[in-house]
Amino acid sequence: MVASSRRAVITGTGALTPLGNDAATLHASLLQGQSGVKKITNFDISALPIQIAGEIPGFDAKNYVDKKDRKALRVMARTIQLAVSGAQCVLNDTKVDKAKLDKTRFGVVYGAGLIATELPEMADAAVLCTDGTPGNVDLDVWGEKGLGVIQPLWMLKYLPNMLACQVSILHDAQGPNNSITQSDVASLLALGETFRLLGRDKGDFFLTGGAESKINLLSMTRHCLFEELAHDPGHPERACRPFDKNRDGMVIGEGTGVIALEELNHARSRGAKILGEVLGFGAAFDQKKDGGGVSRAIEAAMKEAGISNADVDHVNAHGVATKINDRVEAQGIHKVFGDKVDVVAFKSYMGNLGAAGGLVELIVSLEAMRTGQLPGTLNYETPDSDCPVKVLNKPRAMSKPCVVKVGMDQTGQCSAVVVRAWKE
Amino acid sequence: MRKRIVITGMGAITPLGHNVREMFDNLIAGKSGIGPITRFNARKFPTTFAAEVKGFELANFVKDASRWKNCGVNSRFAAAAAQQALTDAGLMPENSNVDRTRFGVYLGSGEGIQDFNNMISLIARAYNKETRTLDNPTFEKDGLKYFHAGHESEQELHTTPAHLADYFCLEGPNYNCLTACAASSQAIGEALEMIRHGDADMMLTGGSHSMIHPFGVTGFNLLTALSTFKGDPTKASRPFDLHRDGFVLGEGSGMLVIEELEHARKRGAKIYAELTGYCSTADAFRVTDSHPEGRGAIACIAGAIQDSGVPVEKIGYVNAHGTSTQVNDRVETIGIKSVFGAHAYKTPVSSIKSMMGHLIAAAGAVELITCVESMRTGWLPPTMNYETPDPECDLDYIPNKARQAKAEHCLSNSFGFGGQNTSLVVSAFHN
Repeated sequence: MVASSRRAVITGTGALTPLGNDAATLHASLLQGQSGVKKITNFDISALPIQIAGEIPGFDAKNYVDKKDRKALRVMARTIQLAVSGAQCVLNDTKVDKAKLDKTRFGVVYGAGLIATELPEMADAAVLCTDGTPGNVDLDVWGEKGLGVIQPLWMLKYLPNMLACQVSILHDAQGPNNSITQSDVASLLALGETFRLLGRDKGDFFLTGGAESKINLLSMTRHCLFEELAHDPGHPERACRPFDKNRDGMVIGEGTGVIALEELNHARSRGAKILGEVLGFGAAFDQKKDGGGVSRAIEAAMKEAGISNADVDHVNAHGVATKINDRVEAQGIHKVFGDKVDVVAFKSYMGNLGAAGGLVELIVSLEAMRTGQLPGTLNYETPDSDCPVKVLNKPRAMSKPCVVKVGMDQTGQCSAVVVRAWKE
Repeated sequence: MRKRIVITGMGAITPLGHNVREMFDNLIAGKSGIGPITRFNARKFPTTFAAEVKGFELANFVKDASRWKNCGVNSRFAAAAAQQALTDAGLMPENSNVDRTRFGVYLGSGEGIQDFNNMISLIARAYNKETRTLDNPTFEKDGLKYFHAGHESEQELHTTPAHLADYFCLEGPNYNCLTACAASSQAIGEALEMIRHGDADMMLTGGSHSMIHPFGVTGFNLLTALSTFKGDPTKASRPFDLHRDGFVLGEGSGMLVIEELEHARKRGAKIYAELTGYCSTADAFRVTDSHPEGRGAIACIAGAIQDSGVPVEKIGYVNAHGTSTQVNDRVETIGIKSVFGAHAYKTPVSSIKSMMGHLIAAAGAVELITCVESMRTGWLPPTMNYETPDPECDLDYIPNKARQAKAEHCLSNSFGFGGQNTSLVVSAFHN
């Protein structure tokens, strides 16, 4: 591995989540044991078997985006609105003077998922060309008349690259730009790629993270069909139970988590506050579903970081709370750390934020570094011998400098990032 | 010294052939893969033609085609092209002697195809025209009943690279980027960087995509991006021609095995070419249009050539993005001229989209493979349907007839909706 002499530091965060719209509020909510998982209220979901989610209360992108740019929100699905809002939060937090940035060295790398069409946009066209028999559509009518009643820019509102593109357009970021679409591990992979871009001198200032909302009619219906979702035990806040023996699936959440990743001297020269340093990154595929991919990702990240187990305060796990995934992940973490290092799983508080999840969860650890207080895992009550890791289930003080953030998805794509609390 | 990265395997499923050789022979012969759309009834759409992959049977490529039965065409095309590339690289059967944990996947693969007929009919069933609202429970009940769980799951954006990693046992880093029309080029570029950095020794990289479905054609027709040429559809894609009126949709997959040079040498792999340059930039201008002066394209082309260390005069061929839209072809020409200076007029440029349409996310990979084959055979593919010169597009576009010419280095451009630009430089391999 080629160690880069260019150091990558985190100089700002943006988080819009079910439990707060900035890092400090989010972190405080977790410390208090609050849950963001509730019965879905913003639309009628009464005919689906799953009716709980981690929603952001009252999100309105107009509160975040410059007045002159608000028109552009019309061609952005909620996921993209979250992305541009999160980006604005980071820029505010890091207090960068955009006029002084070299725009060609300002990059944007986001994680993104499949974005669902808002169904009413298709309805006027739909009713023209079907007699109501399921699966029966007259494509002649659709082609002749249907197209005429759909918004011309319809498709652009839902393209997954529009998160990073819209952010680049709003802020004139002309540097590297990518959209990583690897499901729940997307934002962590985006951070890893940004770390590499910065290391090889392709930019000095990056916005990286992810955004996703699946809390809409089409996505919820589809995910009820094929995803292992937690059942509502009558207490939504107890539904998401990472690593607990009685876990029974994930809870869908929404949000955005974005950080400013900046070259150290660039950050110093503008007097930016520094929250932490990214020291190492690894990615792998867990083909055998035995944790081998998870452990290789962690080991690669720690090797690059040049740290040992003794430097690690906690592992910030993916902890999605499905039966198999938690077992695979726990076995992978166990291969590296045994049961000696505390493991936290913040999805227990707000659900699976999809392409945003990894970065939102990392932001909680960054805030733990800043304040010295680490939240525990919610709903961890009954240990599971399939998950041989030491799950922290109450807050404690931070005692060591490094955090290992793990991300993965249901197919075995995984990654790990090592972040160290800032020291000169 | 920086690591050198070489191409050791290639595979392609395209409208002009189900393997690299057949595809390239057809390109050199100037054949067209464009015809009336047969995948669905498109006769009343503004655009009625596309470049479809014809007669594709996955069972001809992989042993257990039933494993892929829920998959959409993205994953199926990708499986076939990957099988070819891995076999070509001497890596099949799967127990071949390489460290699978150092072998990753980075694709620019597209979204799966939505179940149009169910979606539209179920929306209509739930819609109340008077109140202009949808009755959610009606849609929810219908959706649970009529959508196919397996097919729905396969629409997710991470499934194709996961399938390839699982099926071919590739345990290294696993990525997918979906940066519209630049996706597979960007995937190849980032895969190159992963090996350079030491994150992997080998990468399976490329892309796979089809948007030849009712939502895809609807979306692009609404954006007026597709050609609506009246007449022989094989004449519709006219890159750089004055009368170009939009692109033609294609579909397919291009896959490459790339690896670190010493790794390739040690295992005695045949080496097709060396991947020498990559750059990615953003226009940061508009979601619908390229920057009119080619700001992002210029930075991208210049960056890739600089990364390769090749002087521009030595670039012997430019495989253009060349979509056949008014804006792209004009701005791309500006970009090439700006970076190449006077030498732009001496550098042959062509767009194979004139023959096989635009494979969207998969386009860049197939176009890079075309560059490799051009260097290997000494033949440059033509830009077909180039009839009326456009004063703003005044380069040598290899009009209408393939040309015998020895290129030592080729540039391949890919520019995407939203302003993402990627350029790659590939060079003939010398020790």
